[in-house]
Amino acid sequence: MLKQPRQTGEEIWKTRIDKISAELFTLTYGSVVAQLLKDHENYLEVNKQLDKMGYNIGVKLIEDFLAKSGTNKCGDFRETADTIAKVGFKIFLNIIPTVANFSADSKEFSLILEDNPLSEFVELPEGAVGELWYSNILCGVLRGALEMVQMQVEVFFVSDVLRGDDATELRVKLVKYLEEEVPAGED
Amino acid sequence: MPFDVVCIAVIGKMNNPLYIKNCSSTYQDLKCHYIAHTSIDLVEERISTTKHTDQYLGLLYAMEELAVFGYITNTRVKFIIVTSLQDVAIKDQEMKNLFRKIHNSYVSLVSNPFYNPDSHKPIVSANFERAMAEVTAT
Repeated sequence: MLKQPRQTGEEIWKTRIDKISAELFTLTYGSVVAQLLKDHENYLEVNKQLDKMGYNIGVKLIEDFLAKSGTNKCGDFRETADTIAKVGFKIFLNIIPTVANFSADSKEFSLILEDNPLSEFVELPEGAVGELWYSNILCGVLRGALEMVQMQVEVFFVSDVLRGDDATELRVKLVKYLEEEVPAGED
Repeated sequence: MPFDVVCIAVIGKMNNPLYIKNCSSTYQDLKCHYIAHTSIDLVEERISTTKHTDQYLGLLYAMEELAVFGYITNTRVKFIIVTSLQDVAIKDQEMKNLFRKIHNSYVSLVSNPFYNPDSHKPIVSANFERAMAEVTAT
């Protein structure tokens, strides 16, 4: 029985997810970013680190997601986009970003986040405004998760409210579908 | 609002000034600094004698048409509001509301991961400024 992704997301959020305090989550992520800044002192490096951390999270998170949602393989990239926005984001962050700006060949789309639980109360320091993508961990998470379901994607931020832009927008680009590869040792 | 807020001051736990805003056109900035400074002594006096458990300290003192109200948080951060004296007595409840708004903006400020509350530096934050402007505008 194929349910609407929005309904599925809502149901799973209400029944099968343990909840924690939003402030605890926001403050924890905030201190991760602040500590990374202290350690590296270079905003671009921090972006890379956040992406790496996100990748590691995504690789594991996809299993949890598939177990909780029981979704079948998506028919095309558009379905993938829908599932990510309405089920994925809903289950883990309780937000539903808007899917927009689908490219002509259906290989790219944007996710527009209306409010971002990661960045509540945050004001970027002076030097960071042009360089730091505060929620860059999300890019890594999407990249890692999709790689585990045989899609190689590039994910990056296009705009961020913290930088003074109008909206927070993530761009997801499909590079290629990964074929099953025979591991190097076997022949 | 029946009374005018002349200035708002936020003083840190080491009695260092964090934020002083002069909202009136008739008084100089220096006067606001001076009033905030003298209020520190009165706050210390109040908390050492009575009112340990109450955050709202009420009217600290009045001088030359100005009334000074104090509020201290459990982390020893002090908020001072100076208003011009009117004929109508200012209700405690109204002052408590103002202090609560300031306290909430202060909490949002501290929750910013890039703000270091131990740094003793003055507060530099667009959101906090905006919140203070709202407090004085209403």
